Amino acid sequence: MPGANSGAKMTATPVTRVLGVSALAATALMAVLGLIVSPPDVIQGEAVRMLYVHVPSIWIAYGSFALTSISSVLFLRRSRRRADQGRHYDRLAGSAAEVGVVFTAITLITGMLWGKVTWGTYWQWDARLTTTVLLFVTYLGYLALRRLPAEPTVRSRRAAVMALISFVNVPIVHYSVDWWRTLHQKASLSVGRRPEITGEMYWTLLYSTLAVTILATWLIIHRYRVIRLEELRDEEGLEALIASRLNKDVGGH
Amino acid sequence: MSEVATVVVGWGITFVVLATYSTWVVIRGKGIGQELGIGEIEQSDVEKDTGATTDS
Amino acid sequence: MFLVARKDLRVERRAKIALGQVAPLALLILMVFAFALDANTSLLERGAGGLYWLAVLYGGTLLIQRSFDVETDDGNMDALRMSAIGMPSLFLGKALALFVQITVLELILGPGILLLYNVGVVDWALLFAAAIAGTLAFSVCGVLWGVMSAGLRVRATLLPLLLVPVLAPVLLAGSRAFETALGVRAGAGWTWAGLMFVIAAVHTALGLGAFGFLLEEG
Repeated sequence: MPGANSGAKMTATPVTRVLGVSALAATALMAVLGLIVSPPDVIQGEAVRMLYVHVPSIWIAYGSFALTSISSVLFLRRSRRRADQGRHYDRLAGSAAEVGVVFTAITLITGMLWGKVTWGTYWQWDARLTTTVLLFVTYLGYLALRRLPAEPTVRSRRAAVMALISFVNVPIVHYSVDWWRTLHQKASLSVGRRPEITGEMYWTLLYSTLAVTILATWLIIHRYRVIRLEELRDEEGLEALIASRLNKDVGGH
Repeated sequence: MSEVATVVVGWGITFVVLATYSTWVVIRGKGIGQELGIGEIEQSDVEKDTGATTDS
Repeated sequence: MFLVARKDLRVERRAKIALGQVAPLALLILMVFAFALDANTSLLERGAGGLYWLAVLYGGTLLIQRSFDVETDDGNMDALRMSAIGMPSLFLGKALALFVQITVLELILGPGILLLYNVGVVDWALLFAAAIAGTLAFSVCGVLWGVMSAGLRVRATLLPLLLVPVLAPVLLAGSRAFETALGVRAGAGWTWAGLMFVIAAVHTALGLGAFGFLLEEG
């Protein structure tokens, strides 16, 4: 974390140190604003505070997944031209997806807790919750695909294609489930209706989004670097393996 | 669970998850970095990645 | 494209997996649903549409697996890749073969639910339209995602994980359309069927575009 001595071997740079400290400060302020300063909602009471985490989380998740898809397109275009090219796009795609999954999980958890207070139950088959779970599982699958025991190029390519297809498919799923639930909506239950956010709550929400964005950016950058290190390590491991085999053949070592 | 308790749990879980994940990412980076004997990655490495040459 | 389809189907005819194993299995699943739901006739009647598609999902996944196991076990992938058959034909051919196989499965399941769950058909046209649309969607998605997990040791668990979220809307739509066709519930059955056609079309387009990328090595 920020402030380590210069002898340490880590994935930090001046840029990410600044980012990291900002993230820390921003989220601290977000907590203060969200939990203390901003007022409780007229209808929902204290529960509205959950939304300061819940809403920015899903927005960031969407943003991260969009980044994954865009990165995947760029990767495929680059690697078409020359086989080993564009790997940084692939790494970015993977990094963003993982961060997105983390934030989707947070969205789900906070959403369910919010629901417990507002609807009295942890789960409702409302469109938003359902599509978010599907989104979550979809990208868990993507992450699983990325971990496959296969040649890196094959793996990256498949993952990239999946990201693209998911980019098209997720809206379809969203629309389907949404339509399904509106058909079944009982008039009395205003399931999943979000409150009107005004005044201080609005600014708190906006600020929270900013804070979460900074944090997410910091995470994506660091995760990217870790992926890069992992790739380097795997490659070195492979080279060492080949080298040791060669040595054995020569009868050396 | 009261309203306030739920809010606290919600925020709490969020912070725990994010803190754990952040720590994991940083420590993993540190660990692999040490394995490979690499020092701090310079900003220029990122620029190298986006260049036309194959990755080192 | 028909060449590819014919090849796949010929392999299938010899092995008789779809008819011999998967269809009976699916029928068994219908039975097991009844056990799970305590043979509650009203529940089964209401759920017939959904249970049908669940059985199709299960059997279909097995057929998709098999469709690609056949290729990779024989090392066919390389041969196919290098052959003159274009990617589009390869994709459509496999989809066609899968479509036929899943249809065979459904020809057993259809009468199955009519018999076991005591439902009658109110709208035959809708029933068939929905069945075809859903099967199309299954086939196309199946080939696309099947190739994504092909040739890998973890494919058996990976395929369902990738496939089910994608097929979720098809399952949704198919169940709703069938409910209307079976007279269980009045609804926008044709719209649901239409949605499945759209999903099939979208994935066909995606598949035609992406199949080349997926089969390329290095």
